[in-house]
Amino acid sequence: MDNWESEVEQGQAGQPAPGEKGQEGRQSGAQLRKEANPGKELYLNIRVLVTMMTIFVMIFTFVARIIVVSGPSMEATLWQGDLILVWSLGYEPERGDIVVLTQESYQEDSIVKRVIATEGQRVDVDYAAGTVSVDGVVLEEEYIKEQMLLPSWGEGINHVTVPEGCIFVMGDNRNESADSRYPDIGIVDVRCVIGHGLAVVFPFEHWKGL
Amino acid sequence: MKKSISGRRPWLASALAVALAAAALRRWQLSTAFDWLGLAVPGAQSSVILVCLLLMAGAWFVILAVYQPVSKRPWSAGQAHRWDLVFLDSGDLVYPVLVVAAAFLAAASIPMLLPMGLDQWQTYQAAVKAHLQPPSNNGVLTLATAVGALLAFLGLLQMGRDGLHPGRRGKGGFSAALPGVAGCVWLMESFRAHAADPVLWDYTPLLLAIACGMLFYMDFAGMSAGAARPRRLLWMAAMAAALSAVALVTAWMEGSWADVLLLLSQTIAAAAVLWRLPPNLENPPKLNGTPLPADGGEASIQEETTHE
Repeated sequence: MDNWESEVEQGQAGQPAPGEKGQEGRQSGAQLRKEANPGKELYLNIRVLVTMMTIFVMIFTFVARIIVVSGPSMEATLWQGDLILVWSLGYEPERGDIVVLTQESYQEDSIVKRVIATEGQRVDVDYAAGTVSVDGVVLEEEYIKEQMLLPSWGEGINHVTVPEGCIFVMGDNRNESADSRYPDIGIVDVRCVIGHGLAVVFPFEHWKGL
Repeated sequence: MKKSISGRRPWLASALAVALAAAALRRWQLSTAFDWLGLAVPGAQSSVILVCLLLMAGAWFVILAVYQPVSKRPWSAGQAHRWDLVFLDSGDLVYPVLVVAAAFLAAASIPMLLPMGLDQWQTYQAAVKAHLQPPSNNGVLTLATAVGALLAFLGLLQMGRDGLHPGRRGKGGFSAALPGVAGCVWLMESFRAHAADPVLWDYTPLLLAIACGMLFYMDFAGMSAGAARPRRLLWMAAMAAALSAVALVTAWMEGSWADVLLLLSQTIAAAAVLWRLPPNLENPPKLNGTPLPADGGEASIQEETTHE
Protein backbone atom coordinates (compact mmCIF):
# COMPACT_ATOMS: atom_id res chain seq x y z
CA MET A 1 0.00 0.00 0.00
CA ASP A 2 2.85 2.33 0.76
CA ASN A 3 4.45 1.59 -2.64
CA TRP A 4 1.12 2.26 -4.30
CA GLU A 5 0.91 5.66 -2.66
CA SER A 6 4.28 6.76 -3.93
CA GLU A 7 3.58 5.54 -7.47
CA VAL A 8 0.29 7.41 -7.65
CA GLU A 9 1.86 10.61 -6.48
CA GLN A 10 4.55 10.33 -9.13
CA GLY A 11 1.93 9.73 -11.82
CA GLN A 12 -0.20 12.63 -10.71
CA ALA A 13 2.74 14.94 -10.78
CA GLY A 14 3.41 13.97 -14.38
CA GLN A 15 6.75 12.40 -13.54
CA PRO A 16 7.33 8.88 -14.85
CA ALA A 17 7.96 6.10 -12.40
CA PRO A 18 11.35 4.36 -12.62
CA GLY A 19 11.55 2.36 -15.82
CA GLU A 20 8.53 4.09 -17.40
CA LYS A 21 8.02 7.20 -19.45
CA GLY A 22 5.40 9.96 -19.65
CA GLN A 23 1.89 8.72 -20.49
CA GLU A 24 2.74 5.12 -19.74
CA GLY A 25 3.80 6.07 -16.26
CA ARG A 26 0.57 7.95 -15.64
CA GLN A 27 -1.57 5.11 -17.00
CA SER A 28 0.27 2.65 -14.85
CA GLY A 29 -0.31 4.83 -11.80
CA ALA A 30 -4.02 5.19 -12.56
CA GLN A 31 -4.42 1.47 -13.11
CA LEU A 32 -2.63 0.68 -9.90
CA ARG A 33 -4.78 3.20 -8.08
CA LYS A 34 -7.97 1.45 -9.20
CA GLU A 35 -6.64 -2.00 -8.50
CA ALA A 36 -5.07 -1.14 -5.18
CA ASN A 37 -7.87 0.80 -3.52
CA PRO A 38 -11.33 -0.57 -4.30
CA GLY A 39 -12.56 1.00 -1.05
CA LYS A 40 -11.82 4.46 -2.34
CA GLU A 41 -13.46 3.71 -5.70
CA LEU A 42 -16.55 2.46 -3.92
CA TYR A 43 -16.57 5.50 -1.68
CA LEU A 44 -16.25 7.89 -4.61
CA ASN A 45 -19.13 6.17 -6.43
CA ILE A 46 -21.34 6.38 -3.34
CA ARG A 47 -20.40 10.02 -2.86
CA VAL A 48 -21.43 10.80 -6.44
CA LEU A 49 -24.75 9.04 -5.83
CA VAL A 50 -25.40 10.97 -2.62
CA THR A 51 -24.37 14.29 -4.15
CA MET A 52 -26.54 13.75 -7.22
CA MET A 53 -29.49 12.82 -5.03
CA THR A 54 -29.03 16.01 -3.03
CA ILE A 55 -28.79 18.14 -6.17
CA PHE A 56 -31.88 16.52 -7.73
CA VAL A 57 -34.02 17.05 -4.64
CA MET A 58 -32.87 20.66 -4.28
CA ILE A 59 -33.67 21.32 -7.96
CA PHE A 60 -37.08 19.65 -7.53
CA THR A 61 -37.74 21.77 -4.45
CA PHE A 62 -36.66 25.20 -5.64
CA VAL A 63 -36.50 25.16 -9.44
CA ALA A 64 -38.58 22.62 -11.30
CA ARG A 65 -40.25 19.29 -10.69
CA ILE A 66 -42.03 16.49 -12.48
CA ILE A 67 -45.62 15.69 -11.52
CA VAL A 68 -48.06 13.03 -12.66
CA VAL A 69 -51.47 14.09 -13.92
CA SER A 70 -54.28 12.35 -12.10
CA GLY A 71 -57.89 12.62 -13.25
CA PRO A 72 -59.64 13.83 -16.41
CA SER A 73 -60.15 17.53 -15.59
CA MET A 74 -57.54 18.82 -18.06
CA GLU A 75 -58.47 16.63 -21.03
CA ALA A 76 -57.85 17.02 -23.93
CA THR A 77 -54.70 19.01 -23.10
CA LEU A 78 -53.41 16.63 -20.41
CA TRP A 79 -54.32 13.00 -19.89
CA GLN A 80 -54.36 10.74 -16.88
CA GLY A 81 -50.82 9.49 -16.24
CA ASP A 82 -49.02 12.21 -18.20
CA LEU A 83 -45.79 13.44 -16.61
CA ILE A 84 -45.42 17.19 -16.83
CA LEU A 85 -42.43 19.42 -16.14
CA VAL A 86 -43.40 22.17 -13.71
CA TRP A 87 -41.32 25.35 -13.28
CA SER A 88 -41.43 26.92 -9.80
CA LEU A 89 -38.56 29.39 -9.50
CA GLY A 90 -39.75 32.97 -9.61
CA TYR A 91 -43.05 32.14 -11.29
CA GLU A 92 -45.93 34.63 -11.31
CA PRO A 93 -49.22 33.26 -12.72
CA GLU A 94 -50.49 34.75 -15.97
CA ARG A 95 -53.74 34.27 -17.82
CA GLY A 96 -53.76 31.15 -19.99
CA ASP A 97 -50.97 29.39 -18.08
CA ILE A 98 -51.42 25.82 -16.93
CA VAL A 99 -50.57 25.78 -13.24
CA VAL A 100 -50.13 23.19 -10.50
CA LEU A 101 -51.62 24.29 -7.20
CA THR A 102 -52.78 22.92 -3.87
CA GLN A 103 -56.01 24.08 -2.29
CA GLU A 104 -56.16 22.33 1.06
CA SER A 105 -59.82 23.24 1.54
CA TYR A 106 -60.49 20.82 -1.34
CA GLN A 107 -57.79 18.14 -1.05
CA GLU A 108 -54.21 17.73 0.15
CA ASP A 109 -52.89 16.60 -3.23
CA SER A 110 -52.06 19.16 -5.86
CA ILE A 111 -54.32 19.82 -8.86
CA VAL A 112 -53.63 21.01 -12.40
CA LYS A 113 -55.74 23.82 -13.90
CA ARG A 114 -55.58 26.67 -16.39
CA VAL A 115 -55.49 30.30 -15.21
CA ILE A 116 -58.56 32.08 -16.58
CA ALA A 117 -58.20 35.42 -14.81
CA THR A 118 -55.76 37.17 -12.50
CA GLU A 119 -56.24 39.81 -9.81
CA GLY A 120 -58.65 42.62 -10.59
CA GLN A 121 -60.27 40.89 -13.56
CA ARG A 122 -64.00 40.18 -13.77
CA VAL A 123 -65.06 36.62 -14.63
CA ASP A 124 -68.53 35.72 -15.90
CA VAL A 125 -69.44 32.11 -16.62
CA ASP A 126 -72.51 31.75 -18.83
CA TYR A 127 -73.79 28.19 -18.79
CA ALA A 128 -76.63 28.90 -21.19
CA ALA A 129 -74.21 30.06 -23.87
CA GLY A 130 -71.40 27.77 -22.70
CA THR A 131 -68.97 30.68 -22.59
CA VAL A 132 -66.55 32.33 -20.18
CA SER A 133 -66.00 36.11 -20.26
CA VAL A 134 -63.12 38.01 -18.72
CA ASP A 135 -63.67 41.75 -18.30
CA GLY A 136 -66.69 41.46 -20.58
CA VAL A 137 -64.82 39.79 -23.44
CA VAL A 138 -65.87 36.25 -24.34
CA LEU A 139 -62.83 33.96 -24.42
CA GLU A 140 -62.08 31.96 -27.54
CA GLU A 141 -61.10 28.68 -25.96
CA GLU A 142 -59.80 26.20 -28.50
CA TYR A 143 -58.31 24.10 -25.74
CA ILE A 144 -61.56 22.99 -24.04
CA LYS A 145 -62.68 19.41 -24.57
CA GLU A 146 -66.39 20.04 -25.14
CA GLN A 147 -69.04 22.68 -24.60
CA MET A 148 -69.60 23.60 -20.97
CA LEU A 149 -72.80 22.44 -19.27
CA LEU A 150 -74.30 23.29 -15.88
CA PRO A 151 -72.40 21.24 -13.28
CA SER A 152 -74.12 18.85 -10.89
CA TRP A 153 -73.34 21.12 -7.91
CA GLY A 154 -75.11 24.08 -9.51
CA GLU A 155 -73.75 27.32 -10.87
CA GLY A 156 -71.28 27.80 -8.02
CA ILE A 157 -69.02 30.81 -8.34
CA ASN A 158 -69.80 32.15 -11.80
CA HIS A 159 -69.78 35.96 -11.52
CA VAL A 160 -66.82 37.30 -9.58
CA THR A 161 -64.07 39.90 -9.59
CA VAL A 162 -60.77 38.23 -8.69
CA PRO A 163 -59.32 39.75 -5.48
CA GLU A 164 -55.76 40.98 -5.14
CA GLY A 165 -53.15 38.24 -4.99
CA CYS A 166 -55.56 35.60 -6.35
CA ILE A 167 -56.37 33.79 -9.59
CA PHE A 168 -59.44 32.15 -11.11
CA VAL A 169 -58.69 28.71 -12.56
CA MET A 170 -60.64 26.19 -14.61
CA GLY A 171 -60.02 22.76 -16.09
CA ASP A 172 -60.03 22.31 -19.85
CA ASN A 173 -62.54 19.49 -19.47
CA ARG A 174 -65.20 21.84 -18.09
CA ASN A 175 -67.80 19.17 -17.48
CA GLU A 176 -65.51 16.98 -15.35
CA SER A 177 -63.51 19.59 -13.52
CA ALA A 178 -63.67 20.83 -9.96
CA ASP A 179 -62.15 24.29 -10.25
CA SER A 180 -62.71 27.89 -9.14
CA ARG A 181 -66.40 27.53 -9.88
CA TYR A 182 -66.62 24.86 -7.20
CA PRO A 183 -67.13 26.48 -3.77
CA ASP A 184 -64.62 24.21 -1.97
CA ILE A 185 -61.87 25.44 -4.29
CA GLY A 186 -63.05 28.93 -5.22
CA ILE A 187 -60.67 31.76 -5.96
CA VAL A 188 -57.08 30.59 -5.41
CA ASP A 189 -54.38 32.54 -3.58
CA VAL A 190 -51.28 32.78 -5.80
CA ARG A 191 -49.21 31.51 -2.88
CA CYS A 192 -50.99 28.16 -3.34
CA VAL A 193 -49.47 27.83 -6.81
CA ILE A 194 -46.55 25.39 -6.95
CA GLY A 195 -45.53 26.19 -10.49
CA HIS A 196 -46.22 26.53 -14.18
CA GLY A 197 -46.60 23.50 -16.43
CA LEU A 198 -43.97 23.80 -19.14
CA ALA A 199 -44.22 20.57 -21.11
CA VAL A 200 -45.52 17.02 -21.15
CA VAL A 201 -42.39 14.89 -20.89
CA PHE A 202 -43.90 11.40 -20.78
CA PRO A 203 -45.32 9.37 -22.47
CA PHE A 204 -43.31 10.45 -25.46
CA GLU A 205 -46.28 10.32 -27.83
CA HIS A 206 -47.94 13.05 -25.72
CA TRP A 207 -44.80 15.21 -25.68
CA LYS A 208 -45.56 18.90 -26.24
CA GLY A 209 -44.97 22.30 -24.78
CA LEU A 210 -47.75 23.80 -22.69
CA MET B 1 -4.92 34.10 15.42
CA LYS B 2 -4.65 30.45 14.47
CA LYS B 3 -3.72 29.38 17.93
CA SER B 4 -6.49 31.37 19.56
CA ILE B 5 -9.30 29.63 17.67
CA SER B 6 -7.89 26.13 17.44
CA GLY B 7 -9.46 23.24 19.27
CA ARG B 8 -13.00 22.14 19.79
CA ARG B 9 -14.30 25.00 21.93
CA PRO B 10 -15.01 27.54 19.17
CA TRP B 11 -16.66 24.91 17.00
CA LEU B 12 -18.89 23.52 19.73
CA ALA B 13 -19.74 26.91 21.20
CA SER B 14 -20.54 28.40 17.80
CA ALA B 15 -22.59 25.43 16.65
CA LEU B 16 -24.54 25.35 19.92
CA ALA B 17 -25.19 29.10 19.86
CA VAL B 18 -26.33 29.05 16.25
CA ALA B 19 -28.50 25.99 16.78
CA LEU B 20 -30.25 27.52 19.79
CA ALA B 21 -30.73 30.88 18.09
CA ALA B 22 -31.99 29.26 14.90
CA ALA B 23 -34.43 27.07 16.83
CA ALA B 24 -35.77 30.10 18.70
CA LEU B 25 -36.14 32.04 15.46
CA ARG B 26 -37.93 29.13 13.84
CA ARG B 27 -40.31 29.01 16.78
CA TRP B 28 -40.94 32.75 16.38
CA GLN B 29 -41.37 32.32 12.64
CA LEU B 30 -43.96 29.57 13.07
CA SER B 31 -46.03 31.83 15.30
CA THR B 32 -45.78 35.03 13.23
CA ALA B 33 -44.84 34.36 9.62
CA PHE B 34 -47.88 32.38 8.48
CA ASP B 35 -51.43 33.64 7.94
CA TRP B 36 -54.63 31.89 9.04
CA LEU B 37 -54.57 29.72 5.91
CA GLY B 38 -51.06 28.50 6.77
CA LEU B 39 -49.53 30.38 3.83
CA ALA B 40 -46.23 32.17 4.33
CA VAL B 41 -46.41 35.95 4.77
CA PRO B 42 -43.99 37.45 2.21
CA GLY B 43 -41.07 39.30 3.77
CA ALA B 44 -41.95 38.36 7.35
CA GLN B 45 -39.36 39.70 9.77
CA SER B 46 -38.71 36.36 11.45
CA SER B 47 -38.12 34.62 8.12
CA VAL B 48 -35.66 37.27 6.98
CA ILE B 49 -33.74 37.16 10.27
CA LEU B 50 -33.62 33.36 10.23
CA VAL B 51 -32.17 33.31 6.72
CA CYS B 52 -29.63 36.00 7.69
CA LEU B 53 -28.61 34.05 10.77
CA LEU B 54 -28.02 30.87 8.79
CA LEU B 55 -26.04 32.72 6.13
CA MET B 56 -23.90 34.44 8.74
CA ALA B 57 -23.41 31.13 10.55
CA GLY B 58 -22.27 29.54 7.29
CA ALA B 59 -19.77 32.34 6.78
CA TRP B 60 -18.51 32.11 10.37
CA PHE B 61 -18.03 28.36 10.06
CA VAL B 62 -16.05 28.96 6.87
CA ILE B 63 -13.77 31.29 8.82
CA LEU B 64 -13.35 28.72 11.56
CA ALA B 65 -12.60 26.03 9.00
CA VAL B 66 -10.04 28.14 7.19
CA TYR B 67 -8.20 28.89 10.42
CA GLN B 68 -8.49 25.33 11.71
CA PRO B 69 -4.93 24.05 12.26
CA VAL B 70 -4.38 20.79 10.39
CA SER B 71 -1.20 18.82 10.97
CA LYS B 72 0.36 16.52 8.43
CA ARG B 73 -1.49 13.31 7.78
CA PRO B 74 -1.38 10.47 10.31
CA TRP B 75 1.18 7.97 9.16
CA SER B 76 2.32 4.58 10.25
CA ALA B 77 3.56 1.53 8.46
CA GLY B 78 0.82 -0.23 6.51
CA GLN B 79 -1.81 2.34 7.38
CA ALA B 80 -1.05 5.16 5.03
CA HIS B 81 -4.68 5.76 4.14
CA ARG B 82 -6.18 5.81 7.58
CA TRP B 83 -7.35 9.34 7.90
CA ASP B 84 -9.93 8.18 10.45
CA LEU B 85 -7.07 8.01 12.91
CA VAL B 86 -7.84 11.62 13.63
CA PHE B 87 -10.96 10.42 15.46
CA LEU B 88 -9.05 8.29 17.90
CA ASP B 89 -8.22 9.06 21.48
CA SER B 90 -8.00 6.15 23.87
CA GLY B 91 -8.56 8.33 26.91
CA ASP B 92 -11.72 10.03 25.70
CA LEU B 93 -15.11 8.37 25.99
CA VAL B 94 -17.18 11.32 24.81
CA TYR B 95 -16.81 10.65 21.09
CA PRO B 96 -17.81 6.95 21.16
CA VAL B 97 -20.61 7.61 23.64
CA LEU B 98 -22.07 10.35 21.43
CA VAL B 99 -21.82 8.23 18.29
CA VAL B 100 -23.39 5.19 19.97
CA ALA B 101 -26.18 7.43 21.29
CA ALA B 102 -26.73 8.68 17.74
CA ALA B 103 -26.90 5.07 16.58
CA PHE B 104 -29.60 4.15 19.06
CA LEU B 105 -31.61 7.27 18.28
CA ALA B 106 -31.61 6.23 14.62
CA ALA B 107 -32.67 2.73 15.65
CA ALA B 108 -35.50 4.13 17.78
CA SER B 109 -37.14 5.58 14.68
CA ILE B 110 -37.55 2.13 13.11
CA PRO B 111 -40.54 1.03 15.26
CA MET B 112 -42.31 4.22 14.20
CA LEU B 113 -41.50 4.08 10.51
CA LEU B 114 -42.25 0.39 9.93
CA PRO B 115 -45.90 0.34 11.10
CA MET B 116 -46.53 3.63 9.32
CA GLY B 117 -45.12 2.27 6.07
CA LEU B 118 -46.98 -1.01 6.37
CA ASP B 119 -50.24 0.82 7.03
CA GLN B 120 -49.73 3.04 3.99
CA TRP B 121 -48.88 -0.02 1.87
CA GLN B 122 -51.99 -1.89 2.98
CA THR B 123 -54.24 1.13 2.41
CA TYR B 124 -52.82 1.54 -1.06
CA GLN B 125 -53.26 -2.14 -1.93
CA ALA B 126 -56.82 -2.14 -0.60
CA ALA B 127 -57.70 0.85 -2.79
CA VAL B 128 -56.17 -0.84 -5.84
CA LYS B 129 -58.09 -4.06 -5.19
CA ALA B 130 -61.35 -2.15 -4.76
CA HIS B 131 -60.69 -0.29 -8.05
CA LEU B 132 -60.77 3.02 -6.21
CA GLN B 133 -58.44 5.99 -6.75
CA PRO B 134 -55.38 4.90 -4.71
CA PRO B 135 -53.66 7.36 -2.35
CA SER B 136 -50.57 9.06 -3.72
CA ASN B 137 -48.37 7.38 -1.11
CA ASN B 138 -47.93 3.61 -1.39
CA GLY B 139 -45.69 3.42 1.68
CA VAL B 140 -42.63 2.04 -0.10
CA LEU B 141 -40.44 5.06 0.66
CA THR B 142 -41.49 5.02 4.31
CA LEU B 143 -40.51 1.35 4.55
CA ALA B 144 -37.25 2.12 2.77
CA THR B 145 -36.58 4.90 5.27
CA ALA B 146 -36.99 2.36 8.07
CA VAL B 147 -34.44 0.11 6.38
CA GLY B 148 -32.20 3.15 5.98
CA ALA B 149 -32.51 3.91 9.68
CA LEU B 150 -31.35 0.34 10.37
CA LEU B 151 -28.33 0.88 8.12
CA ALA B 152 -27.61 4.16 9.89
CA PHE B 153 -27.79 2.36 13.22
CA LEU B 154 -25.28 -0.28 12.10
CA GLY B 155 -22.93 2.28 10.58
CA LEU B 156 -22.98 4.57 13.58
CA LEU B 157 -22.57 1.64 15.96
CA GLN B 158 -19.46 0.55 14.07
CA MET B 159 -18.09 4.08 14.29
CA GLY B 160 -18.70 4.08 18.02
CA ARG B 161 -17.00 0.70 18.42
CA ASP B 162 -13.93 2.01 16.66
CA GLY B 163 -13.86 4.91 19.06
CA LEU B 164 -13.90 2.47 21.97
CA HIS B 165 -11.12 0.34 20.47
CA PRO B 166 -8.78 2.84 18.86
CA GLY B 167 -6.30 1.52 16.38
CA ARG B 168 -7.85 -1.93 16.05
CA ARG B 169 -10.15 -1.64 13.08
CA GLY B 170 -9.76 1.71 11.45
CA LYS B 171 -12.79 1.34 9.21
CA GLY B 172 -15.13 3.24 11.44
CA GLY B 173 -15.00 6.36 9.31
CA PHE B 174 -16.08 4.45 6.22
CA SER B 175 -19.09 3.13 8.14
CA ALA B 176 -20.35 6.71 8.04
CA ALA B 177 -21.29 6.10 4.42
CA LEU B 178 -24.19 3.96 5.66
CA PRO B 179 -26.12 6.78 7.37
CA GLY B 180 -25.19 8.96 4.39
CA VAL B 181 -26.84 6.52 2.00
CA ALA B 182 -29.78 6.09 4.39
CA GLY B 183 -30.21 9.85 4.22
CA CYS B 184 -30.91 9.55 0.48
CA VAL B 185 -34.06 7.55 1.15
CA TRP B 186 -35.09 9.79 4.03
CA LEU B 187 -34.61 12.83 1.78
CA MET B 188 -36.74 11.29 -0.98
CA GLU B 189 -39.48 10.34 1.47
CA SER B 190 -39.48 13.80 3.04
CA PHE B 191 -39.70 15.46 -0.36
CA ARG B 192 -42.47 13.11 -1.47
CA ALA B 193 -44.44 13.80 1.69
CA HIS B 194 -44.34 17.54 1.02
CA ALA B 195 -44.34 17.58 -2.78
CA ALA B 196 -47.87 19.01 -2.87
CA ASP B 197 -47.17 21.64 -0.23
CA PRO B 198 -46.89 25.06 -1.91
CA VAL B 199 -45.36 26.63 1.23
CA LEU B 200 -41.60 26.12 0.92
CA TRP B 201 -40.99 27.28 4.48
CA ASP B 202 -43.00 24.30 5.76
CA TYR B 203 -40.46 21.73 4.68
CA THR B 204 -37.33 23.36 3.26
CA PRO B 205 -35.52 23.39 6.65
CA LEU B 206 -36.06 19.63 6.93
CA LEU B 207 -34.79 18.94 3.42
CA LEU B 208 -31.74 21.17 3.93
CA ALA B 209 -30.98 19.51 7.27
CA ILE B 210 -31.16 16.04 5.74
CA ALA B 211 -29.06 17.05 2.74
CA CYS B 212 -26.44 18.68 4.94
CA GLY B 213 -26.43 15.59 7.17
CA MET B 214 -25.92 13.31 4.18
CA LEU B 215 -22.98 15.34 2.92
CA PHE B 216 -21.54 15.51 6.42
CA TYR B 217 -21.66 11.73 6.74
CA MET B 218 -20.08 11.29 3.31
CA ASP B 219 -17.20 13.60 4.21
CA PHE B 220 -16.89 11.64 7.44
CA ALA B 221 -16.63 8.43 5.44
CA GLY B 222 -14.08 10.05 3.15
CA MET B 223 -11.70 10.39 6.09
CA SER B 224 -10.97 6.67 5.90
CA ALA B 225 -11.31 6.25 2.15
CA GLY B 226 -8.35 8.31 0.96
CA ALA B 227 -10.52 11.34 0.21
CA ALA B 228 -10.20 13.38 3.37
CA ARG B 229 -11.68 16.86 3.50
CA PRO B 230 -11.43 17.66 7.19
CA ARG B 231 -12.21 21.37 6.92
CA ARG B 232 -15.31 20.75 4.84
CA LEU B 233 -16.30 17.98 7.23
CA LEU B 234 -16.15 20.40 10.15
CA TRP B 235 -18.22 22.97 8.23
CA MET B 236 -20.79 20.36 7.24
CA ALA B 237 -21.04 19.06 10.80
CA ALA B 238 -21.62 22.53 12.21
CA MET B 239 -24.21 23.39 9.54
CA ALA B 240 -25.93 20.02 9.95
CA ALA B 241 -26.32 20.76 13.65
CA ALA B 242 -27.70 24.27 13.00
CA LEU B 243 -30.14 23.22 10.26
CA SER B 244 -31.24 20.17 12.23
CA ALA B 245 -32.17 22.45 15.13
CA VAL B 246 -34.45 24.45 12.82
CA ALA B 247 -36.05 21.32 11.42
CA LEU B 248 -36.39 19.80 14.88
CA VAL B 249 -38.71 22.59 16.01
CA THR B 250 -41.11 21.89 13.14
CA ALA B 251 -40.92 18.12 13.51
CA TRP B 252 -41.53 18.41 17.26
CA MET B 253 -44.54 20.70 16.85
CA GLU B 254 -46.03 18.50 14.12
CA GLY B 255 -45.42 15.35 16.16
CA SER B 256 -43.27 13.73 13.46
CA TRP B 257 -41.40 11.65 15.98
CA ALA B 258 -39.46 9.57 13.48
CA ASP B 259 -38.06 12.79 11.99
CA VAL B 260 -37.32 14.08 15.49
CA LEU B 261 -35.27 10.98 16.32
CA LEU B 262 -33.40 10.93 13.02
CA LEU B 263 -32.63 14.66 13.28
CA LEU B 264 -31.43 14.22 16.84
CA SER B 265 -29.27 11.33 15.70
CA GLN B 266 -27.46 13.34 13.05
CA THR B 267 -27.14 16.34 15.38
CA ILE B 268 -25.43 14.23 18.02
CA ALA B 269 -23.18 12.60 15.41
CA ALA B 270 -22.22 16.09 14.23
CA ALA B 271 -21.49 17.10 17.82
CA ALA B 272 -19.25 14.04 18.17
CA VAL B 273 -17.24 15.10 15.14
CA LEU B 274 -16.95 18.67 16.41
CA TRP B 275 -15.79 17.27 19.75
CA ARG B 276 -13.13 14.89 18.46
CA LEU B 277 -11.87 16.16 15.13
CA PRO B 278 -10.48 19.68 15.78
CA PRO B 279 -8.02 18.81 18.57
CA ASN B 280 -6.90 15.64 16.79
CA LEU B 281 -6.32 17.49 13.53
CA GLU B 282 -4.00 19.81 15.37
CA ASN B 283 -2.30 17.16 17.48
CA PRO B 284 -2.51 13.71 15.87
CA PRO B 285 -3.32 10.99 18.40
CA LYS B 286 -1.24 8.02 19.41
CA LEU B 287 -1.79 4.71 17.67
CA ASN B 288 -1.31 1.64 19.86
CA GLY B 289 0.79 3.70 22.24
CA THR B 290 3.09 5.02 19.50
CA PRO B 291 2.91 8.76 18.89
CA LEU B 292 2.19 9.65 15.30
CA PRO B 293 4.90 11.88 13.91
CA ALA B 294 3.59 15.35 13.28
CA ASP B 295 5.48 15.69 9.99
CA GLY B 296 5.54 12.06 9.01
CA GLY B 297 3.30 12.30 5.96
CA GLU B 298 4.46 12.98 2.46
CA ALA B 299 1.64 15.37 1.78
CA SER B 300 -0.77 17.30 3.92
CA ILE B 301 -4.46 16.45 3.97
CA GLN B 302 -5.29 19.50 1.91
CA GLU B 303 -2.72 18.66 -0.70
CA GLU B 304 -4.17 15.24 -1.20
CA THR B 305 -7.72 16.49 -1.66
CA THR B 306 -6.68 18.71 -4.53
CA HIS B 307 -5.61 15.66 -6.56
CA GLU B 308 -9.01 13.98 -6.57
